[in-house]
Amino acid sequence: MTDRIRIQQQDFDLAEEYQLLRQTDSTVGAVVTFAGLVRDFELASEKGSEADPQGQPAIGDCIDLLSLQHYPGMTESLLKAIVEQANERWNLIATTVIHRVGDLSPKDQIVLVGVASRHRADAFEAAQFLMDYLKTQATFWKSVRRNGERQWIESKASDQQAAARWDGSSNE
Amino acid sequence: MIDVLFFGRLGDFAKQVPATMQALTPAEIRDLLAADFPDLVRELNQPQVLVSVNKMIVGWDQPLFDGSEVAFLPPVTGG
Repeated sequence: MTDRIRIQQQDFDLAEEYQLLRQTDSTVGAVVTFAGLVRDFELASEKGSEADPQGQPAIGDCIDLLSLQHYPGMTESLLKAIVEQANERWNLIATTVIHRVGDLSPKDQIVLVGVASRHRADAFEAAQFLMDYLKTQATFWKSVRRNGERQWIESKASDQQAAARWDGSSNE
Repeated sequence: MIDVLFFGRLGDFAKQVPATMQALTPAEIRDLLAADFPDLVRELNQPQVLVSVNKMIVGWDQPLFDGSEVAFLPPVTGG
């Protein structure tokens, strides 16, 4: 298994990452990649969830800047553990996880998950599992700045539910 | 001494908290902060807040030793 885990400020090139996964070896029959982007209505979309509605701006408000903080050292080991779990559950040939930190703007890429496997089901499911677990377990925190004021993004119950569906299910 | 870190929204409440403290458990750190930082401690008491020692998630009664790194972690929002 070839696993690449990177936390970085700089952008990544989806095509380049796809080629690396594709070229791992000649047994690769499927590559699934997912890229997560900064939306400019990040907070508004969480209106009506468990977040305090009073603290949330209206739909249409624009984010000036999104910042991603992480816990260096811990984030890397948590991502490694998540990738190991994926390798235990599915037949994977190579996995790439890249997560950006620092200041980002709307439309910027935040995260890349890529999985190469022999068959498509393993790659599809593992990619979804990796994202669901990354969102609920890896030590990243998003904040947005608008009108010069920083607001921390609240965690979403829907993300917890997405991750919980993998608990106790078997892929044997 | 124990290194103490606060992440995410907890950091906004902890700007004046010393970076190192003397305590036997993470729970004791929280108790020591109660008098001077009531807003921070109210946040720390939220059930979703996790604590780590030396970058491993642990319970609030985990024993601390000289040089331990304690971090208080609000719910994560990456991805």
